[in-house]
Amino acid sequence: MTDAQTAHAGAVPLVRARARSDLRLVLVLGGAALVLVAAGPYVLPTYMVNSLIRAFLYAAAALTVDILWGYTGILTFGQSAFFGIGAYAAGLIFTHLGFSPGHAALALVVGVAGAMIVAAVVGWLSFYQGASPLYASVVSLVLPIVVAQLLYSGGTFTGSSSGLSGFESFDIAIETWFWIAGAFLVTLTAGAWIFVRSDAGRVLVAIRENEARCEYLGINVSRVKILLLVVCAAIGAGAGYAFACVQMVVAPEYAGFVFGTELVIWVALGGRGTLIGPVLGTLVIDVSTSYLSGNLPFVWKLIIGLTFVVVIVAIPQGLLPLIKGAVDRVRGRGKSDPTEPPPTLQSVAAEPYAGLAEAGPHALQIKGVRKHFGSLRVLEGIEFTAMRGELLSLVGPNGAGKTTLMRCIADGNERTGGVILVNGHDIQRLPPYDCVAFGVGRKFQTATVFETLTIAESLRIARTRRALPSFRARAATLDVPEAALKVIQATGLEDMLHVEARHLSHGQKQALELAMVLALEPSVLLLDEPTAGLTKPERMLIGQILVELASKHSLCILLVEHDLDFVREISSRVIVLHQGRLVLDGTVGEVVESELVRTIYSGGAHAPTAARA
Amino acid sequence: MAPPRGAAQRRQPQAWGYTDERGRAAPRREWLPLGGQRSGGSRKRGGTPMSAAVALDLARVRSGYGEALILREVDLDIRCGEIFVLLGKNGMGKSTLLKTVMGFLPVRAGRVRLFGEDITGQPPHRLARKAIAYTPQEQALFQDLSVEDNLRLALRDDKHLREGVKRIGAFFPFIPERLKQRAGTLSGGEQKMLLVARALMSRPKLMLIDEISEGLQPTVIERLAGVLRRERDGTQVSILLIEQNVKFALSVADRYAVLKLGEIVDRGSVGDQGAEKSITDHLAV
Amino acid sequence: MAQVLDIITTAAIFFAVGAGLLIVFGVMKIINFAHGGFITVGGYSALAVTNLGLNPWLSLLFAFVIGAVCGMIIERLVVRPLYSRPLDAILATWGLGIIIGQVITLAFGREVQFVQSPVTGAVDLLGTSYSQYRLILVLAAIVLALVLAAILNGTRLGLVTRAVIMNESLARGLGINSGLVRFATFSLGAGLASLAGAFITPLSSVDPNMGVPWLVNAFMLVMVSGVSLVSLAIACLVLGGAQVLVSTYGNPVLGGLTIVLLAALILRFRPQGFSRE
Repeated sequence: MTDAQTAHAGAVPLVRARARSDLRLVLVLGGAALVLVAAGPYVLPTYMVNSLIRAFLYAAAALTVDILWGYTGILTFGQSAFFGIGAYAAGLIFTHLGFSPGHAALALVVGVAGAMIVAAVVGWLSFYQGASPLYASVVSLVLPIVVAQLLYSGGTFTGSSSGLSGFESFDIAIETWFWIAGAFLVTLTAGAWIFVRSDAGRVLVAIRENEARCEYLGINVSRVKILLLVVCAAIGAGAGYAFACVQMVVAPEYAGFVFGTELVIWVALGGRGTLIGPVLGTLVIDVSTSYLSGNLPFVWKLIIGLTFVVVIVAIPQGLLPLIKGAVDRVRGRGKSDPTEPPPTLQSVAAEPYAGLAEAGPHALQIKGVRKHFGSLRVLEGIEFTAMRGELLSLVGPNGAGKTTLMRCIADGNERTGGVILVNGHDIQRLPPYDCVAFGVGRKFQTATVFETLTIAESLRIARTRRALPSFRARAATLDVPEAALKVIQATGLEDMLHVEARHLSHGQKQALELAMVLALEPSVLLLDEPTAGLTKPERMLIGQILVELASKHSLCILLVEHDLDFVREISSRVIVLHQGRLVLDGTVGEVVESELVRTIYSGGAHAPTAARA
Repeated sequence: MAPPRGAAQRRQPQAWGYTDERGRAAPRREWLPLGGQRSGGSRKRGGTPMSAAVALDLARVRSGYGEALILREVDLDIRCGEIFVLLGKNGMGKSTLLKTVMGFLPVRAGRVRLFGEDITGQPPHRLARKAIAYTPQEQALFQDLSVEDNLRLALRDDKHLREGVKRIGAFFPFIPERLKQRAGTLSGGEQKMLLVARALMSRPKLMLIDEISEGLQPTVIERLAGVLRRERDGTQVSILLIEQNVKFALSVADRYAVLKLGEIVDRGSVGDQGAEKSITDHLAV
Repeated sequence: MAQVLDIITTAAIFFAVGAGLLIVFGVMKIINFAHGGFITVGGYSALAVTNLGLNPWLSLLFAFVIGAVCGMIIERLVVRPLYSRPLDAILATWGLGIIIGQVITLAFGREVQFVQSPVTGAVDLLGTSYSQYRLILVLAAIVLALVLAAILNGTRLGLVTRAVIMNESLARGLGINSGLVRFATFSLGAGLASLAGAFITPLSSVDPNMGVPWLVNAFMLVMVSGVSLVSLAIACLVLGGAQVLVSTYGNPVLGGLTIVLLAALILRFRPQGFSRE
C-alpha cells in the first residue's frame, strides 16, 4: 500500500503542525496570563493580592470540578475533601513536627498520596459498572461530610472546630506567593486545556454523552473515571497544600461539603465544560465575596444563590458561553463556522484476529442460553454454533428475543443462564469492554452515537482500543479499516467529518454507528437492524460490504433484520426465533420457503412450548 | 378541509360509488347512522357533509424526535364509524404518527383535527378526555396494578366502573373474574384483551391502537377482530389500527393506508380488488 | 429499655422527615435538595408562633401551610423547567435551600433560638422515665404513615399518583394530568418537610442551617428505600437504630456518620436498597 505510506509520510509533518498550532495559542495566551500575574503585586492593592492568592488556589480546585463534571458528566461535591486533605497534611505536619524543607516535602507527599488513595477508594465505590450517576453524586457528597466530621472529632490533634493555626511555613513574601499561585493556576489551566482538546480528552466527552456506547467500543469506563478522579484529587490536594502554606491556617470548613458545593456553583456560573469559565468565575466571585461579604454578608450570599438558580434553570451552559455568544453575534461570526479542518481518513488493513489466541473455526458457540425477567421468559434454550465466515441472519417477529440474544452475546452479565463462547473464550460474566477484547462488535438497534462529537471524533473514539489516542494533540490523520471507510464514503459522511452527530439524519446516524463498530476490527459482528432508515442503494452497498467481510476476511456476522429480501440476498444461514425459542435453523432457501415461518409472520403460529404464565 | 399535496395517490378501481378528485372512494353512505350522529365540532364549522363524517383528520403533518424528521407531509382522514388500518414496516413512522396525534410529540407543521376541532399540539391528557382511547405498543399496562385498577384509570371517576366492567365482560368474560389479579401475571393474549377492554371502558369515539395483534394466537386475534367490528357497528366508534400483520388488518378494516419512510404511499378500501397485492408490493420493497 | 425507645423515636423522627422527600422522589424522580430549607422553614414557623405567644400546637398547622405554599411557588418556577434534567434539578433545589437559609437569616438573625415545646415532662413507660414529647412524636409518625398509606392505596387520588410513579407517559395517555399530580406532590412534600421541622425543633433548637444535616440523612434513607413507604420505615428503624447504637457505644461523631456511611455501602452492593424489587 504505497499510497498510504506516502500519504502517511506526508501526513507526519501535518501532525506536528496541528499540535503546534494549538500549542502556539496556548503559549501566547498563557504567556500573556503569566505577564499579568507577574505585574499583579505591583499594580494591585495588597488586600486584593491576598484575596487573589486564595482565589487562584480555589480556581485550581474548581478546574478539577469542571473536568469531572463539565467534561465527563460526573457531578461531584467532593473535591473539597481532597483540598482539605492536602491542607491538613501541611497543617498537621507543620504543627506537630515543626517546619523544615524535609517536612515540607513530606507534607506534600503525604497530602497528595493520601488524597489519591482516598480517591481510588471513592472511585471503586462510585464508578462500578452499572452505577447510576445519582449514586456517584451521593458518594461525592458523603465524602466531604465524613472528612469534615473526622476533623471535627480529632480533638487537639486536628484542632477540632477551630482548626490549626500559627504553624510555621515557608518564609516567602506575599508577592512571591502570588507569583507561585498564579503560575500554578496558569500552567494547570494550560495543561488541562491541551488535554481536553486532545484526542484523549474527547473520550471524556464520549463518556458523558453515552457511557454504554463507550463500553461496547472496548473502553473500560470505570477505570477511566477512577483514574481521572485520582488525578483530580492529586491536583486538589496540591492546591490545598499551597493554601495551607500561604494562609498558615487550616479549618474543617475547607474540607466540608459547603465548600464542595461552592466549587460546583462557581463552575456552573462560569460555564461548565469551558475550563476558562470556571476559572474566571471563581476569581471574580471569590474576590467579590471577600470585598462585599464584609458589608452585606447575607445579602451577597443571597444574590449568589439567586444567580445560581437562575443560571441553572435558564442559562445552563453558564455565563461565559453566554457572553461569548453575544460577542460572536456582534462580530458577525456564526457558531457553526468550523475552526479547523477535520483529520484525513486513511484506509488500513483490518486485523480482526490480531491478539486473539488461535481459536479454531468456531466464532460463536451458544449453549443453552436463557434469559428471564422474573417470571417472564424472554429467551429459553438457545443453542447454536456459528463459524468464521458465516453470515447468519436472526429473524422473528417483534418480541421474539432477537435483540436480547445480541445483548447476551456482547455482555457477559446479561443472560440468566447458559454458556457463550466467543472465538473459543468463555465470556462468563464479563462486562462489554472485555467481550470487545474477545472480538465482539455490537451495533445497537437504535442509532447510538455521541451527539456532540463530530463524525471524525466519533471514529477516533472507536479506534481507541486499537490505537491509544494522543494526550496532547489531535492527530491529523486517522487510520480507519477499509470496511468502515467504505461505509463512510458510500453514505456521504466523508464530506461531513466536521459535523456533529446530532445534526445527522436517522439513517446517517445508523451509518455512523456501523462505521464505528467496523472501526473496532471485530471478528464477531453483531448488527441489529443495520439498514433501518437507509435508502435502497445504500442498503445494497452495506450488503456487499457485509458479504465481503464474511467471505474475504472470515468475519462471523450475526444480523437482525426485518427486511426478508435483504436477508435472502446476503445470508448464508438463517435462524428463526419465536417467543424466545429457536424454532428453525437452516439455509436461506429452507427457511424462506418454510410454512412455519410464513405462519409466524402472518401472526398465525403459537410456538408449541412457549412458556408464558 | 384542504386537499393534500405531495404524496402520490393511486386511483383505485371502484366497486361502487364514485371516485373523487383525489382518487379516493367516496364515503359509504350506508355507514352514516340514520339520524346523523354528527360531531358538534364540524357542525360549528358548518362544513360539507363529507367533513362531518370525518373523525380524525391529519393535514400535511410533519413531526419527529429531536432533530430527526420522521413524518413528512402526512395526509390522512379517518371517518366516523370506520376501522382504518395503517400499515408499514418497522421504523417507518407508524407509532410516531399516533404519538404525534396524541400530543406526545410536537407537530412541526400541519394540522390535526378531531371531529372538526383543531387539536394540534394539545397535551395528551386533554386529548384522552376528549373520548380518544390510546393504546400504545409497549408498556401499555400498569403491570403492578390489579386488573381492576388498570380499568379504573381509564375512567374519570369510579361511578361508572361497575357498569363498564359488566359491559366489557360481555366481550371478555374472563375479566370480571380476575379483577383483583395483578395485570402483569396475565398471559400475553389476556393482557392484549385487557388493553382493548380498557380502551372500550371509556366509551371512546376514537380508538388509536398500536400493533395489538403482535405475538398473539390466531384465535385471540379473531376474537379481538370480532370485538372491534361489533363495537364499530354498535356505537359507530372510529378505530385507527397500526399493524404489520397484513392478514389481520385486511380481515377487520374498512380502509387502509401504507406508510413508508414517513409518507403515505398507498391508500384505498380494503374491499378493492388488488388491494392486498398493492399493499404487499409496497411493504416488500 | 431507654435505648429501645431511643431507637424507635429516632426512627420515627427520620420517617417523618423523610416521607415527604420519598414521595417527591417517587413521583418526580428527582431529589429535592431544598427539603432541608423546608425543614428550616417549619422550624422558624414554630419560632414565630412561640414569639407571638400562640398555642404551640398551632405551629404545626402554620408550618404545614407555609411549607406547602413555598412548595407550590418553587415547583412552578424552578422545578417544572428542570423536568428533563434531574442532576440540574438537584443543583437548583440546593441553590434554593441556600436562598431560603439566607432569607431566614435576614429575617430572624443568625443565632440559635429556642422554641417552646407544646408538651413537657416525662412519662413512666415500662420501667424507664421517658420524654413525653418524643413519645408523641412516635405517635405522630405512625399516624402520618397510616394517613399516607391510606391515601395512596385507598383513594382514587392515590391510585392516580401511583400510576404516575409507575409510568408517567402511560398515565398521561389515559387522561391523567401528570403536571397537576407533580405540582400537588411537590407541595405536599414541602408541607410535610415543614411540618417535620416544626415537630423536631422543640427537641433541640432552631438556626438557619438546621435543615442541612437532616437533609443529608433523609436523602440517604430515601435512596436506600426505593419508592416504598414500607421500605422507608424499615430503613429508618435499621439505620436509625445503628446510629443510636454507634453513638452510645462508640463515638458520637461516628454515630452521626453511621446512616450516611451504611447507606452508601448498602447501595453499592444492593442498588435497590431495602425495597423488594
